[in-house]
Amino acid sequence: MSDKFRYDDDISKKFLLATLLWGAVALLLGVLIATQLADWRLNLGLPWTSFGRLRPLHTNAAIFAFAGNGVFAAIYYSSQRLLKTRMYSDLLSRVHFWGWQAVIVAAAVTLPLGLTVGKEYAELEWPIAWAVNGLWVVFAVNFFQTLRVRRERHLYVAIWFYIATIVTVAVLHVMNTIQIPVSFWKSYPVYAGVQDALIQWWYGHNAVAFVLTTPFLGLMYYFLPKAAERPVYSYRLSIVHFWSLVFIYIWAGPHHLLYTALPDWAQTVGVAFSLMLIAPSWGGMINGLLTLRGAWDRVRKEPVLKFFVAALTFYGMATFEGPLLSIKSVSALGHYTDWIVGHVHGGALGWNGFMIFGMAYWLVPRLWKTPLYSTGMANAHFWIGFLGTVTYLVSLWVAGITQGLMWGATDIAGKLVYPDFVETVLRIVPLYWVRMAGGLLYFSGYLLMLVNLVLTVRRAPAGVQDEAASAPPLVPATVGNLGGRPHRMLEGLPGLFTVLTLLAILVGTVLEIAPTFFSGGFAPETPGVKPYTGLQLHGRDLYVREGCYTCHSQMIRALPAEVKRYGEYSRAEESMYDHPFQWGSKRTGPDLARVGGKYPDLWHYRHMMEPRDLVPGSIMPSYSWLAKDKTDFEIIARKLAVMKKLGVPYADDDVRLAVEDARREARRIGRGLEAQGVKPGIEDMEIVALIAYLQRLGEDFRKGGVK
Amino acid sequence: MSAKEKRIEEVKSTGHVYDGIEELDHPPPPWFVAMFYLTVAIGLAYYAYYEIGPGPTQGQELQAERRKEELAELTSLAASGGSKIPSEDELQAMGKDPGRRSAGAAVFSTKCASCHGNRGEGGIGPNLTDRHWIHGGRLTDVFNVITQGVPVKGMPPWGALLKQEEVEGVTAFVASLAGTNPPGGKAPQGELVEKR
Ligand code: HEC
Ligand code: HEC
Repeated sequence: MSDKFRYDDDISKKFLLATLLWGAVALLLGVLIATQLADWRLNLGLPWTSFGRLRPLHTNAAIFAFAGNGVFAAIYYSSQRLLKTRMYSDLLSRVHFWGWQAVIVAAAVTLPLGLTVGKEYAELEWPIAWAVNGLWVVFAVNFFQTLRVRRERHLYVAIWFYIATIVTVAVLHVMNTIQIPVSFWKSYPVYAGVQDALIQWWYGHNAVAFVLTTPFLGLMYYFLPKAAERPVYSYRLSIVHFWSLVFIYIWAGPHHLLYTALPDWAQTVGVAFSLMLIAPSWGGMINGLLTLRGAWDRVRKEPVLKFFVAALTFYGMATFEGPLLSIKSVSALGHYTDWIVGHVHGGALGWNGFMIFGMAYWLVPRLWKTPLYSTGMANAHFWIGFLGTVTYLVSLWVAGITQGLMWGATDIAGKLVYPDFVETVLRIVPLYWVRMAGGLLYFSGYLLMLVNLVLTVRRAPAGVQDEAASAPPLVPATVGNLGGRPHRMLEGLPGLFTVLTLLAILVGTVLEIAPTFFSGGFAPETPGVKPYTGLQLHGRDLYVREGCYTCHSQMIRALPAEVKRYGEYSRAEESMYDHPFQWGSKRTGPDLARVGGKYPDLWHYRHMMEPRDLVPGSIMPSYSWLAKDKTDFEIIARKLAVMKKLGVPYADDDVRLAVEDARREARRIGRGLEAQGVKPGIEDMEIVALIAYLQRLGEDFRKGGVK
Repeated sequence: MSAKEKRIEEVKSTGHVYDGIEELDHPPPPWFVAMFYLTVAIGLAYYAYYEIGPGPTQGQELQAERRKEELAELTSLAASGGSKIPSEDELQAMGKDPGRRSAGAAVFSTKCASCHGNRGEGGIGPNLTDRHWIHGGRLTDVFNVITQGVPVKGMPPWGALLKQEEVEGVTAFVASLAGTNPPGGKAPQGELVEKR
């Protein structure tokens, strides 16, 4: 007796269309901000179009809207077929879909408005972040209930990867979004300084692992053999690389923090596990490529297979480059440069993008029951996209390595050869143009795909229905029917499988992160470190709001050339009250950890109004609105109260008198500026708070409060 | 695919089929297994070297680098006979040397003009063309201010960033600014110095 049922194809269509739409938005934003780095005028002088605000929108759109919706399309389509059942609940599927799109729209509105937590890829403010957590629960319930009502005893490897994705993203996202609200659109993370940095990069690195890798491997394991009509090469390889990948990936986060104030041991652990990651990552590539044995003649003709082969190759390249960049001496050169941006785009454009394109070209004709409009256009898309990706990668390799070498260059007397930071920027601006051209090519290919797919869908026959299927119901598990080998038995027990997966990712998580909770976040009590004044704290929030951290680091690494350029390397204690930390990950501009006192207030004022007045050739946007927008002094008291709750040592009086104190400090700075010709009334403006913050950076160290 | 390959595949099948996808039972390629063990071994060795063995901490690494540089500086100083601080007379002479002055002008326009104006008329920093000086009007004073800066007042120290001959050149250029009286000059600051 077979059950008859229909797959929910409508939900796969919905997610697929969403991917295609948001992908265009993400890419367009990417091209725009790439151009802004080549020519600052494209910041347009408006707050909501400036680089610091749009860059988070681009990354969030690419990861959560483009890749995210793509992953959901793949999971909803393939899981139903692999489990021989319709999704457990159509309603939950739709709540997931519409909720996710609502989150994306909310992000698209709030990020340009400057409403951000200021942690990369976790920028969304708490109401949205927690909506994401809620939606993830909806998705997880729907998925695991579907596992329960399945008609296939054993779980295919694609499903293993989906399970790992759902479980781990839940742990990562919840852990990294524990924040205390100050107002509806402003919150502070509970972690600070080193601890915040470690948790952030544990999250950030594993967002790459569990949003951009594991679900895509699952996707590959379904769509590649389907498209190639070939059996999967090695079941045993699947087992080995699944478990090793899941277990090892979670440890590698600290390789984002080499030579920083993170304790040495944690850095070394991060490097060691990054090296071990090569083989587990390559396992997926190898299994995919070997699955194509006997189908290579078709790769030449079929765009779907071309995209998959290129994607796996880029994946292999990126997962070799990653461990390479984790080695301390390579990180010393490459970190903070465009090499890292190139590295991530090898994955994003080459791996994630191409996997989704391959999937879309395969899926649209099947979901809409009509052949692809034009194979020629799809082939053209492949070559344009490929050329775009290679152009992008090569330009940023050259840019990153050039700039890294220039930063580190010293002459025989030990002096920096390029002491002016801007010199190192001007050298790579031409490469920013080349990168932009690469991005534009990639985007053109994308548009070609959209046209092709729209024309395909328009030819779809009327009244296409959800696909019908039938399968015998699941027989209860017995030792006999679970299969002989232990892993085979495990594949028949989703509950146990899920628990083991969770344990695999918790080992690294707990061993790396738990120590920060017992050691005061690795920062010894240091009375010499003073909390920010209310005005400085408010200025810091403006720094976060404007996304200055997308171009500036605040973490001087323990490297000779860096210490020469910026001053003594940063100590853990210096950021112990920083909720969130602002160490940054990219130096499009110089490090700011010790910029306080380097210039007079007037310098900062004029620099923020128009950087090129003081530093010819600078590519920093101008921030003239900061001199026009009034400081919200009233909120400062609430900010201090929340910080006090988080353990920052403010006295009750600091909180009570916060507003008056802030006004007094603003008046002092404002008067100084006015005496030198700045227009009267400047003390009420936001620029003064920002200057207060900038001048404060590194002060504890200068005053001898930190050793 | 040849008939032989097909037969091998039948033998190799696990018998698992999911939605038409069959899984074969090839062993993982040996080179893959070797790479796996090797990278795990390298990872463990890396950890052991730095955390158990003699590998330096990043603090020690930095210190060692600095010591090496100090030594290199000393030897290069010894080799060059050491560059000594120029005297007032030497600086005065440089101030009259057009070569020195034009080299200094180039440094001035990139490093100093943002605060002192293109022609030294002042702006964020004081006017350098008048006869008033905060830190003394002798050229050795000027040389010292440029080298050491006045960090609390926002005049950066240039000693670590510029070569000595560049500081000398820019001092010569500042000397040449005296009395040029450019338009838009900032009001005088500091003490009046009648004669240099
Ligand atoms: C698009 C990247 C970008 C963004 C965004 C950006 N900057 Fe910059 N910034 C630069 C570059 C490049 C320089 C070096 C050239 C210069 O001094 O203008 C720089 C220099 C600086 C300097 C001088 C540092 C020194 O030691 O000379 C300060 C201070 C500064 N930026 C503050 C900020 C603040 C505050 C924000 C946010 C409101 C910000 N920047 C946003 C690129 C950026
Ligand atoms: C960031 C702004 C800034 C830059 C760049 C700068 N200065 Fe200054 N400079 C100042 C300020 C501010 C003062 C006043 C210090 C004080 O009040 O004690 C000053 C003072 C001086 C003085 C002493 C003037 C006096 O009245 O005694 C000299 C000489 C000088 N600068 C030369 C230079 C030269 C040469 C350069 C380039 C190599 C340079 N400055 C770059 C800001 C700057």
